[in-house]
Amino acid sequence: MAKKVTGVIKLQLPAGKATPAPPVGPALGSYGINIMAFVKDYNEKTSAQLGSTIPVEITVYSDRSFTFVLKTPPASDLLRKAAKVERGSGTPNRTSVGSITRKQLRALAEQKMTDLNAVSVEAAENTIAGTARSMGIKITE
Amino acid sequence: MAWLECSVEVEAEAVESVSELMASYGYNNGVAVDQPVIHGADGPDYRYDTERPVIVRTWIPVDHKSEDARAKLEQALWHLSLLRKVGALKVSHLEEQLWADAWKKHYTVQRIGKRSVIVPSWLEYNPQPNDIILKLDPGMAFGTGLHPTTRMCTQLLEEYMPTGTRVMDLGCGSGILAIVAAHLGAKEILAIDTDPIAVEATIANAAINGVAENMKIFEGSLGIGNSLGHWLSWEAPDVPSGTAVHPESLQCDVIAANLIAKVLVFLADDMYAALKPGGLLISSGIIADREDEVALAFTAAGFERLDRRSEGDWVALYHRRPVA
Repeated sequence: MAKKVTGVIKLQLPAGKATPAPPVGPALGSYGINIMAFVKDYNEKTSAQLGSTIPVEITVYSDRSFTFVLKTPPASDLLRKAAKVERGSGTPNRTSVGSITRKQLRALAEQKMTDLNAVSVEAAENTIAGTARSMGIKITE
Repeated sequence: MAWLECSVEVEAEAVESVSELMASYGYNNGVAVDQPVIHGADGPDYRYDTERPVIVRTWIPVDHKSEDARAKLEQALWHLSLLRKVGALKVSHLEEQLWADAWKKHYTVQRIGKRSVIVPSWLEYNPQPNDIILKLDPGMAFGTGLHPTTRMCTQLLEEYMPTGTRVMDLGCGSGILAIVAAHLGAKEILAIDTDPIAVEATIANAAINGVAENMKIFEGSLGIGNSLGHWLSWEAPDVPSGTAVHPESLQCDVIAANLIAKVLVFLADDMYAALKPGGLLISSGIIADREDEVALAFTAAGFERLDRRSEGDWVALYHRRPVA
């Protein structure tokens, strides 16, 4: 063991479709970790969720070995699906692209709670509502 | 193909929304987030550093549309910056590389002991007489040979491990020490780790190196009912998880434990119990600041100290359970 952490990198990647091209190559290359081993393992573990974005958190140790943990899809992904919109607004402070209900917000907060390190569902709701606002997605009653 | 590397510094709260934006312009919808961390004292522990900004990056392939994409991204980030703390977009050119192989330049043939030499699968090496060749590729388990703690353990094994003995590699990682022990003539080897990825790696590496025959490789830890694991027995590989077997039944001649200070202290009594009288303990992974703590725990457990090595911040110790 004797692990010492030299880096923590989060990547957002399409499930089952990671390649050594960006973002994987340039993000991990400088750490000198075995990129092909990562790509293969990530794709194997996420192949059942094709079509989703599955973020992954990679921890690199001082002898260039590494581990990774898969996360739940990003809040923005879940928000787009809930609001049934293709993408967020490019000008969120001016134009909104869609809306979700309070009830939907609660459901997303519950789903994301562990990954957000939130102390309560309310705290997770706040974070996700903030993401919604910055994407131009409104919360309705 | 060349790339535009686009990066932006943001507050932690804005990471999700900036990632969302960058993903919609970046190649393969990919985004990388460099998370600043504060390192723990002696091992794998760390915590997020919320004081420093987070850097979010994405990559756009250079073609006739890339300038337009960059401008749109810049504009969208500006709009976001009215709601959140988002820095200015930084763009740099990046030449295409063979990413799939570029990482390999960090590795060469490494001599990690008087006899032990690590040879990655993509390199050739002409062995010297008496060399022990370790066929090992870096991966997800600790023990690539790049760390001083692994090298010191290897050197102590080469120097002190008697042949024909029963050896335990406690916290086996990649299995590197177990493989060295096999080449040095161990009769039986038990390699255990609490991490299932390490167990898989050790099984694979033992097979690649042709030394799986006398090796037992399991997930688990030493000691009974402790929080670090459960176990174990030489005879019963399919002991159900959680089953406790007294360390006394192990009767090892040698234990190689490349762990961390805290765990070595915790397992001192169990390692003592798992050794035969006269048995040898090679311990490593001790950060210099905690050497005294480990040495005290070993003395209290009944061990006598025979040797000590150090390299950089790291210390390895060599102890014996007294004969009587």
